[in-house]
Amino acid sequence: MKTKIVIVDDNANNLLLEKDLLIVAGFEVHTAVNANDAIQLIKEVKPQVIVLDVQLPDISGAELARILRSSIDTVSTPIVFVTASVLQSDIDHLLSIPDSAYISKPINTRTFSKQVSQCIK
Amino acid sequence: MNKISTPKELPEYSESIVNTVREPLIIMDQHLRVITASRSFYDFFRAEPKDTIGKLIYNLGNNQWDIPKLRELLETILPQKTSFDDYKVEHDFTTIGWRTMLLNARQVERSQSNDRIILLSIEDITERNAIQEGLVKANKELEILTKDLVKAAQVKSEFLANMSHELRTPLNSINGFSEVLYDETFGTLNEKQKQYVKNVLVSGNHLLLLINEILDMAKVEAGKMTLTVTELPIKEILYEISGLIKDAANKKNLKMVIDISTYLKNIQADSLKIKQILYNLLSNAIKFTPDGGEIGIKATQTDTETHIVIWDTGIGIALENIEKIFEGFFRIETPYSRVTEGTGLGLPIAKKLVELHRGKLKVESEGNEKGTSVHIILPIKHITTVIRDENKNSHS
Ligand SMILES: Nc1ncnc2c1ncn2[C@@H]1O[C@H](COP(=O)(O)OP(=O)(O)OP(=O)(O)O)[C@@H](O)[C@H]1O
Ligand SMILES: [Mg+2]
Repeated sequence: MKTKIVIVDDNANNLLLEKDLLIVAGFEVHTAVNANDAIQLIKEVKPQVIVLDVQLPDISGAELARILRSSIDTVSTPIVFVTASVLQSDIDHLLSIPDSAYISKPINTRTFSKQVSQCIK
Repeated sequence: MNKISTPKELPEYSESIVNTVREPLIIMDQHLRVITASRSFYDFFRAEPKDTIGKLIYNLGNNQWDIPKLRELLETILPQKTSFDDYKVEHDFTTIGWRTMLLNARQVERSQSNDRIILLSIEDITERNAIQEGLVKANKELEILTKDLVKAAQVKSEFLANMSHELRTPLNSINGFSEVLYDETFGTLNEKQKQYVKNVLVSGNHLLLLINEILDMAKVEAGKMTLTVTELPIKEILYEISGLIKDAANKKNLKMVIDISTYLKNIQADSLKIKQILYNLLSNAIKFTPDGGEIGIKATQTDTETHIVIWDTGIGIALENIEKIFEGFFRIETPYSRVTEGTGLGLPIAKKLVELHRGKLKVESEGNEKGTSVHIILPIKHITTVIRDENKNSHS
């Protein structure tokens, strides 16, 4: 069975790019464009890893991550943040969430899927 | 006895004393009738002795002197205290306009008779007051201006940080998709297509480099650049970076002179930032040295400091520009530099990063065509900040 991934990003192009890269790498990929849809989707799909854009239209990626951590189904599902922020304080804030990692934007297309799969337990 | 005093009752010398004081002075009897006044009083208030002497003070100058605060001083305060200083009175005189005055009053018992005289000196502080008020106002305005300036600098840095952030998002897809196309992940390209996609990728990466430089500058200026300090093998890092730029030096036929002391201890510093500094300076040395010249690295240590010199035999820097090259976006206009690429941020960033490490960066050049050397001094032990575990933020 393929490893399931949910990607959450409101930017259609970035979503498509990440999705393609992960599909090519052999993952089963599901996508959402806002936090609200993402919560629903993650409940249904039960992914092994979640890839989160940090700036979402409804709530921030970090807030979404905290909501996910408070639910029994996703309390320890690895979360990979994809962020354009380069401020150490922002990044420290993200990494304070347990089982999280970050990939900075722009992503390296040649290593992206490898970076994501490294997070799967 | 209730007789009215006249100037004749004052000894002659007191008359001349009265006239020597520079501040307007009036002498009154106990019924507040003017016995005499100084010359300065007449000058200042544009009055005549004939309209003054023998008159009740309040009636002077067509009752201009009927000032409530003056009444209070003369009728209430003085009988109790016999002397009073710096009593502030503001009044609009029809003859001389709005005045702020400090009144000093003395009540003197006369020895022969039982009556008293009152001395009243008037200090005009209208101008002093205006100057003081002006100063206070100017000070306040300065304070506001300083605050505005600090805020403007902050807004500028925040703007740059936000802008760079916003620019990275579209660049993510520009660079990402062209990379995927170039790698032919979804099918092969013909030669022309491949070349064009490569052009997009090269330009995209160049744009990203610029954005990163601007962002770095904004971060340092906003005080948001933090160091991730570890124990660094500085010797290995110096060799690593010289290895990185070797190709570029060979392309320009530059001789590379490497003189790194074998006994370099590890230093406590931010690995990425030290590499960024060295890379920037070595790129400059290569960039600004014409074909066939020399560039070099020299590194030594004392007990407490590492001293690194990156030098070249290139176009040099004129004395008048030695300061300006640190201002940011400054590029010296020479026929040579016009053909070189750059934004003029590499050096200012390098200096700021060295200073974040509590080190020093200094540029020396004998002038045009005389080559350049950049000296960096880095402390071996990092001061204050806690040493972080570098493995914590291991992704990307
Ligand atoms: N080794 C050097 N020799 C002569 N001139 C130099 C040297 N290093 C820097 N300069 C001068 O100082 C200017 C600023 O240097 P800086 O590294 O900031 O900018 P840059 O190299 O032009 O662009 P960037 O580094 O941002 O790509 C340069 O444009 C150049 O005029
Ligand atoms: Mg440079």
